Amino acid sequence: MKAILAENLSKTYPKGKKAVEGLHLSIEPGEVFGFLGPNGAGKTTTVKLLNGILSPTTGSCRIFDIDPFQHPESAHQISGVVTEHAQMYDHLTGLQNLVFYGTVFGVNTKESELRANQLLETFGLADSANQRLATYSTGMRQRLSLARAMLHRPKILFLDEPTSGLDPESTQHVNSMIQRLAKNEGITVFLCTHQLRYAQEICSSYGLIDDGTVFATGQLGTLRSLVSSGLTVRIEADHFPSDIPHKKTGERTVEINVQDESEIPSIVRHIVEQDGSVYHVSARSLSLEEIYFSLLESHKSKKENL
Amino acid sequence: MNKMQVAIMKKDLRGLVFNKRLFPALLIVPLIFALVLPTILILTVHFAPEDISEMQQLLDLLPLGEQSQDIQMRVIGLMFNYIIPVFFIIIPIMSATIMAASSFVGEKEKRTLETLLYCPLSLHQIFQAKIFASFLLSMFVTFLSFILMMLAAETELLLIAGSPLLLNINWLVTLLLLSPSVSLMAIILIVRGSAKAQSAEEAQQRTIFLILPVLLLVVGQFTGILLVSAWLLLGIGIVFTLIAGLLMKSGRNKFNYETLLK
Repeated sequence: MKAILAENLSKTYPKGKKAVEGLHLSIEPGEVFGFLGPNGAGKTTTVKLLNGILSPTTGSCRIFDIDPFQHPESAHQISGVVTEHAQMYDHLTGLQNLVFYGTVFGVNTKESELRANQLLETFGLADSANQRLATYSTGMRQRLSLARAMLHRPKILFLDEPTSGLDPESTQHVNSMIQRLAKNEGITVFLCTHQLRYAQEICSSYGLIDDGTVFATGQLGTLRSLVSSGLTVRIEADHFPSDIPHKKTGERTVEINVQDESEIPSIVRHIVEQDGSVYHVSARSLSLEEIYFSLLESHKSKKENL
Repeated sequence: MNKMQVAIMKKDLRGLVFNKRLFPALLIVPLIFALVLPTILILTVHFAPEDISEMQQLLDLLPLGEQSQDIQMRVIGLMFNYIIPVFFIIIPIMSATIMAASSFVGEKEKRTLETLLYCPLSLHQIFQAKIFASFLLSMFVTFLSFILMMLAAETELLLIAGSPLLLNINWLVTLLLLSPSVSLMAIILIVRGSAKAQSAEEAQQRTIFLILPVLLLVVGQFTGILLVSAWLLLGIGIVFTLIAGLLMKSGRNKFNYETLLK
């Protein structure tokens, strides 16, 4: 059984705006799926479609074999959702908020209190448990939202920009929480974000979306192979032979693409033979950010050529 | 009503109690209709000049049944049994309005509606919870107002006239059937309006300008109906209860998540 299965899912809003078009997704249980794209790409619409909050214009989707549009209550019972627009009550304390949502999800009050206190502890909010939500900072609210989404022990978490508006420290904190949840609890995570660097740290597979269309899916290695199978080597030298194809990145630094590490010694030897002095050599694979922009560029040029 | 719905109702009622703007407004209407106005009526009749006896002719025209008491007590009885019950149709409507108008749009403004929609409850169940929270509040305020009014009126009358006030069957029908049914009808319409509104102001204006005048018009006719017969009142109460039930059912498919979040 797939955690998420979407087939040809599309959503056109009443005013004619196509938010999502022909979406195909297949996500295994326990995966941390990064759904990456800029603001307005269709990420939030996809989360709403997968939760039955929006009705699809065409296509279908299932979460753990439940059709969220036909049976939204059953889909909600196994999902935890954190979005920018899903806030909690300012007049209640952190603890009261969690207990309320626990009860609404069918957990009895005693058990809700127990779980709420454990989650507040886990998310570093135990000291603020009895403070009203109105006094919470953005980072604390975001962590409490994660705790709220976890309270009924869902099988799948939908996190829409969970670190937006957070400082780097809080972002780090939230990301390590997500990682821990996926690893320790085996929860499937559908993470929407435009922060590619953080996504690379925590996701096991990706879907890249732009303008409502998913243009690439797969694990990092798969995506990387779509762009370049090799490594990027950064070399710092006072002289660089012109017969090796390279990209100048600084006064004395260049970057070149190679298929594997075995090519590096011959390049260095060639520089030295040409009377060049080498100060630094390092190799790295393409980052998610580089892969994303490269794939996006080719997707856009393909679209323009159509 | 399941436990999840009860949790929403409790949260809504708690939210109102903590709302410094709405809670005082909730107390003003019952205070005026159940304490201030009846007290003014009693005192006016008691301290009115002698020519109140001219009321005798009016009283003789009305089908009031037994007429053995003195004129002052008869006028007060007339007020309490045929005019003040109307207040007890206004009180639940007004108190329910305060909570019902902000039921959905309030959540929308606080950005908590989406969170609520992600809960494993159907929209109909959420609507039911919102409606019953307002209904419970309006009934609580109504019965509390009645108890306070009777305590104040009986004390005032015992001190002033030395005899207690006797209420007739109209009160039973009004409090147990008419008040709840009219209040439920109003709440259902207001909650639906709240779901369509984009802001709390819009919801309140919708309530004040569209729903309240119609309901107050209906309420205005009741002084006459109270005089005719308790059976007629009972009949109307049953009809209203049926209408409220139908309204509750007819709203089942009127909304979906998408229209609510617009």
